[in-house]
Amino acid sequence: MSDSMFEIRQGDAGEVTMAGRLDATHCDAALKFLSEIANLRVIDLARLEYIASAGLRVILLTQKRCKAAGGGVRLINVAPAIHDIFHYAGFDQILDVTRAAG
Amino acid sequence: MNERHTTMPSDAAQLPALLTFLQDFWSEFKLPPAEALTFELALEEVFMNVVMHGSHADRAPRVNVSITLEDDGVTLTVEDDGPPFDPLSLPAPDLTASLETRRVGGLGVFLVRQVMDSVRYERRDTTNRLKMTKNMAGVGPRHAA
Repeated sequence: MSDSMFEIRQGDAGEVTMAGRLDATHCDAALKFLSEIANLRVIDLARLEYIASAGLRVILLTQKRCKAAGGGVRLINVAPAIHDIFHYAGFDQILDVTRAAG
Repeated sequence: MNERHTTMPSDAAQLPALLTFLQDFWSEFKLPPAEALTFELALEEVFMNVVMHGSHADRAPRVNVSITLEDDGVTLTVEDDGPPFDPLSLPAPDLTASLETRRVGGLGVFLVRQVMDSVRYERRDTTNRLKMTKNMAGVGPRHAA
């Protein structure tokens, strides 16, 4: 994936995957996509290459919504550079964040 | 000459152009790919701050971005001619707040301060200037073959 591309989709098992760059130009589309999923449990970030505060806002709003509905979101396969950003923002305290293996 | 600059209106639609500007600089000087993300993040956060705060002005501010390769570091400078605004005066977010009470927003400048080694603001005449430096051992003119 090159330049400023971003992709979000939902698989057959209900899991959501994000790829590319969750930046200020893609955050509205991502938030809209996520807000239309009733029973969101897992977001696979294996192919997410970049996140900025606009993207963190999407994650935080989504987690607030899911918790209020009695659920909660897990972020899985988080790359080290993205994990660092989650950590700086204190998101590992309010979300279940799992690093990518190895 | 180890410096490049670009000028654009403070409009979120310019973000892809800023990204290209940074990536071109990174490949031209063969800088470590891992540090590219640091600068992409800093530039996006600072630029979007100008976009938001500049929207209160009667016209969109112009933004001047320059990036300089130094000995053992890279410096990014963002200037705008919008109303005086010191992003470093913003309060730090409360990272200990529970999910329910956690405020949405206010993370951008905080993240920039985390990923950069120094961040300085100055107001000079009609210009806001934010200067950010990241130490990167082994880069720069002194190390060039």
